[in-house]
Amino acid sequence: MAEPILTATGITRRFGGITAVDGVDLHVAEGEFLSVIGPNGAGKTTLFNLISGQDRMDGGKVTLEGRDITNLSPHKMAEIGVARTFQHGRVFGNLTVMDNVLIGCHVRMKAARSTVPVIGPVLELGKALIQPKAVREEEEAMREEARAIIATFGERLTPRTDNPTYTLSYANRRRVEIARALALHPRILILDEPTAGMNESETAEMQEIIAGLKAEGRTILLIEHKLNMVMQLSDRVMAMDDGKVISHGTPSEVRHDPKVIEAYLGHSSIGGARPAARDNAEPQEVITAGPTQGRIGRTGGAEA
Amino acid sequence: MEFLSSLISMPWLDYSISGLVIGSIYALMAVGLALIFGVANLINFAHGAVFTVGAYIGWTCLVGLGLPLGVTIVAVAAVSGGVGALIEWLAIRPLNRQSRIAPLLATIGVALMLDQIIHIVFSPTPRALPANIPDWRIAVGNGTIGAIDITIFATAVISAAALYAFLFRTKLGMAVRATAQDDDAAKQMGVNINAVNMTVFGIAGALGGIAGLLVGLYYNSIDPNASFQMMLKGMVAIVIGGMANVPGAIGGGLILGLIESWGIGLFGASYRNLFAFVLLLVMLLFRPNGIFARGKERAAEPMTGTFVTQTKAITLPRPLIWVLIGVAVILPMANMPYITQVMTNAYLYGLAALALTLVSGTVGLVSIGHAALVAIGAYASALLTTKGLPVSLGIVIGGAAAALIGTALAYPAFRLRGHYVAIGTLALGEIVALVILNWEGVTNGALGVFAIPPLEIFGLPLYGTKASYWFVLALMLGMAGLQVRLLKSHLGRTWKAIREDTVAAETYGVSSNYYKGLAFGFAGFTAGIAGAVTAHQWSFINYDSFNLLFSVLILTMAILGGLGNVSGAILGAILVAALPEMFRTLAEYRMLFYGAALVILIRFRPQGLLGSG
Amino acid sequence: MSLFRERAALSRRAFGRIALAAMVTTAAGAHADSPPAPVFIGVSGPVTGPHAQYGAQWKQGFDLALAKINANGGIDGRPLAYVFEDSQNDPRQTIAIAQKFIADPKIAVEVGDFSSTSSMAASPLYQRGGLVQFGFTNSHPDFTRTGDYMWSNNVPQSEEQPLVARHVVEDLGMQKIAVMYLNTDWGKTSKDLFTAAATDLGAEIVAEEAYLGDEKDFRATLVRVRDAAPDGIMLVSYYNDAALIVRQLRDLGMEQTVFAAGANSPEFVELAGEAGNGVHTAMNFAPMSPRPMVQDFVAAFEAEYGSAPSHFSAMAYDTFNLLAAVMRQYGTGRDDIRDGLGQISGLESVIFPEVSFDPETRRISNPSVTELVVMDGGYVPYSGAGQ
Repeated sequence: MAEPILTATGITRRFGGITAVDGVDLHVAEGEFLSVIGPNGAGKTTLFNLISGQDRMDGGKVTLEGRDITNLSPHKMAEIGVARTFQHGRVFGNLTVMDNVLIGCHVRMKAARSTVPVIGPVLELGKALIQPKAVREEEEAMREEARAIIATFGERLTPRTDNPTYTLSYANRRRVEIARALALHPRILILDEPTAGMNESETAEMQEIIAGLKAEGRTILLIEHKLNMVMQLSDRVMAMDDGKVISHGTPSEVRHDPKVIEAYLGHSSIGGARPAARDNAEPQEVITAGPTQGRIGRTGGAEA
Repeated sequence: MEFLSSLISMPWLDYSISGLVIGSIYALMAVGLALIFGVANLINFAHGAVFTVGAYIGWTCLVGLGLPLGVTIVAVAAVSGGVGALIEWLAIRPLNRQSRIAPLLATIGVALMLDQIIHIVFSPTPRALPANIPDWRIAVGNGTIGAIDITIFATAVISAAALYAFLFRTKLGMAVRATAQDDDAAKQMGVNINAVNMTVFGIAGALGGIAGLLVGLYYNSIDPNASFQMMLKGMVAIVIGGMANVPGAIGGGLILGLIESWGIGLFGASYRNLFAFVLLLVMLLFRPNGIFARGKERAAEPMTGTFVTQTKAITLPRPLIWVLIGVAVILPMANMPYITQVMTNAYLYGLAALALTLVSGTVGLVSIGHAALVAIGAYASALLTTKGLPVSLGIVIGGAAAALIGTALAYPAFRLRGHYVAIGTLALGEIVALVILNWEGVTNGALGVFAIPPLEIFGLPLYGTKASYWFVLALMLGMAGLQVRLLKSHLGRTWKAIREDTVAAETYGVSSNYYKGLAFGFAGFTAGIAGAVTAHQWSFINYDSFNLLFSVLILTMAILGGLGNVSGAILGAILVAALPEMFRTLAEYRMLFYGAALVILIRFRPQGLLGSG
Repeated sequence: MSLFRERAALSRRAFGRIALAAMVTTAAGAHADSPPAPVFIGVSGPVTGPHAQYGAQWKQGFDLALAKINANGGIDGRPLAYVFEDSQNDPRQTIAIAQKFIADPKIAVEVGDFSSTSSMAASPLYQRGGLVQFGFTNSHPDFTRTGDYMWSNNVPQSEEQPLVARHVVEDLGMQKIAVMYLNTDWGKTSKDLFTAAATDLGAEIVAEEAYLGDEKDFRATLVRVRDAAPDGIMLVSYYNDAALIVRQLRDLGMEQTVFAAGANSPEFVELAGEAGNGVHTAMNFAPMSPRPMVQDFVAAFEAEYGSAPSHFSAMAYDTFNLLAAVMRQYGTGRDDIRDGLGQISGLESVIFPEVSFDPETRRISNPSVTELVVMDGGYVPYSGAGQ
């Protein structure tokens, strides 16, 4: 096996008394496709949140190409090439498809990367106002590239390039998310249930796109419930339950592991069979600002 | 040393008693606000007006009709409860599925109308409201406690207990709690959300009205202008107690009363509101779930959704814009200095609204403290130019000062979202005004700054009505042009991405604090030069020249035009500045019509006239 | 600082009246046949908003003055009238109104606005426009300094406070004085002048407590005052603050002698209730003065409005009478009025036995004050120790 590009060891995260992720080890090699499966509440999304910086771990260490990136802030993660999509799709609704993808280019834009410390902000404002040739050319190049990325999704997105994404179908918004992630030129692409809520033909289409990404030699981490897809795409599969890794190996090894079967049966819900994974109850995505959280604080409700 | 010794020798008991009494009044206000916030997810700016309604109904019953106190309390509760329910039905319910800024603005409009009606019906003069409560007093510490103090404290406690019983012992109360938890789920369970909302507004209204009555009795004085201050204090109390936490609101009110009282004991009354607002900021930053929250972890903030609706903005066609600019340029030729002056004012408002719409619309930090930026710009330029700096330089420095100081002050609030930003910036705005008032050595305190040199650019005088009109017009159009340019650059999409989903933006490498800072800096500059130009135009400013009302007016303009929309901000500014002038013929009814116009506009164009950008 | 300052109102008497564009009041009837063009005074003041109560009081004084002036032939046969523009005491609106008045050739002189914030913002415009701005409620020491078109008959605090200090220290015998003052330009200026004068007279200032305009609860502040152990309390307050403070002060069991600057308004007596009894105050306008002019005014006012005139109504009444006298004597041109104000002398008014202006400061010369005590729901003149 090739030298791993991303290594995580002993990752732990607790919420109150619950240990959502409990000492998980994980590694991915350059160009490898690793899938994480597990029943609802197994801790998959939490694990990904920790790796990509949306949440802070209570213990453990993550390195990328030997560099310690433990608990780096999300935007630093993006700068070093970790891109992720979100379980429920988090596109910028009032931005066009093009602008969404261009946000993916943000970390590569020189116009947004002023290296001068104190007057950097003034320079960035100034460049944006004056729009010197270099800035205009860079912007145009990025747009060109974004158009190319959007084109990989064919007729689904290309005609809608200048539409705000809130007008798009759910499936199309998921596509925009992946396009945005690709625009980052990621070293690692983390996909959190990219086909959640999609019907069969949409799923098949998405699977084709992901297969294409794999064929390009990208390093991909995937959470997915649709086991068929996992089995077809993955180089390796990791199964989680109750915050721990319960099985790890080639797709067929994991698929036939009795512990995995029991974990799924015990939860009476095998991935792929259930409807849209939209009402998943595990601690979601990001703790600081999940839009699905109730309005009244956990401790400050009218019932207190 | 003197401070330490006063800390020890201070009569804590006396201060604590006075703090608890005023605190129980805050608590009564806070309970209603907390209930409404919990169920409707809304800061009800009309709550203070309901408080005043209660006071005047009480006056009508007690003094006008000579009814006994018991009957009066029932009547006050019934009428102000009815007013509360009516607010829900007329102003809030039609905006049910709109972005949350729309009902906020609707409550502001309703507050204007209610206060206005009271002014018209009862006259603006404060009135005596003598209490027929036995006039005995018992000595406690070095002071005394009277029947009225105990009545107020007891009413607060009884109201809270009754509310608790309602919420936990009745079916409707359960529905209220369910709705507060998750209104979608409650609806699916068959809860009639509209009925729940109306009930809650009614209960909150009744409590607010009773508070108004009690406060009137307590001070033997009712005043139609008291509402907003009370509402503010109630708001601070619910932040202390935890926004939607009803028992917490009572605790928060008492704590606020105590801290104010102790603060006055230590520093004096001129700083009273400073303590309230500093406390509010500290709470927002360090205990956003309130002082009674058990865990240290920050729970989901209540307003994670965006204030901006998902609609397409109306883009004015270029030729139309040029025609409008042309009309604006030749307007002074009509030789109507009054119109010219009104439009100059509108453009100065427009500059401030441009700044606000960038911060609140484009980046999503809804600010109710924007007057502070304008004030900083005005004071910086005024103070420097009265000491000899050329005016043109003063204006630029005023802009820069507002950009730097404003951004530095707001920086801690960047981690807040939604309503919390709005409350936090409101507090910042008040703090800046109070610092201006109390920092006599620099700002000349209450006397303000006098003899500010008139507008001029490099020795070219601009104080004529037409010259200053053109200057301000050019300034506004120039800043609007720059803002449009920024919005078209990578900054525009980056700011909007932060507004739409800060977490996703961070995940794609956008350092949200940095970009919020950039937006605040640019907006601060715009607002600062607006303030500086105003100062030179007026020649005199003081701490009240740019007050909270000014902040609310600018926000109204930005929302009315369409949050984030550059031409919308200008249109909003012209409307809000010109509407009251157009309603001049209505004399004392004009603010009533203005309030109604706001409510109606927001009802039919909740996304703003030109849509959000 | 209260927010919704932009709210409207008018006196309860005006409620129900049809709202007119600008409240143009002409003395109809005086000259029924082919009426000559009226002379207009432009008033900029609060009709709506939180200061609307003051605008309403002004209007009572204006109307009463106009009735009398026009019954006596107006200005050389021309009726006097006024245009009242609502400024809400907002500087943004006062400057627009200033433009309106300056450009309107029929306006001979401008009166108002209410506060220094709003009046002084418009002063440069009036000065450049050459229209007299007569600020009769403007106590800010810099108000008349913008230029020679700014005039005020508001008593300068530099003249009034030494008189008050003498009364407080010498007549009332206060030696250790606690001062509570409204933290505005008026309150701060008055407080500074008072404390300086009182200190010169040998009294000691043991506490100075500033408070904000919309304050309602003074208990905590009063504990501070009490602990400074004063033998007398000086309030630089408006009537509603003064009433609140006096009530809360007595509730706290503080029995010191109180002098309250704002207690000279009839509303104070009502709002303070029992606690108001024995509070000392001083007034430029003394409703019980035996001068016939004062008695006529008070009687006419009570007949018309059913209540005693407030200080503001008296000021408003005086202002119109003064301007009418200037116009009769020196002409109705804008500069005639400016020049006339500097020359007029020996005029009796309800507030001042004799009005004249110092042409340098453009303020009233040698004002006097009448010392009063609140007693049984009314005022009696101060008549020596023991009260």
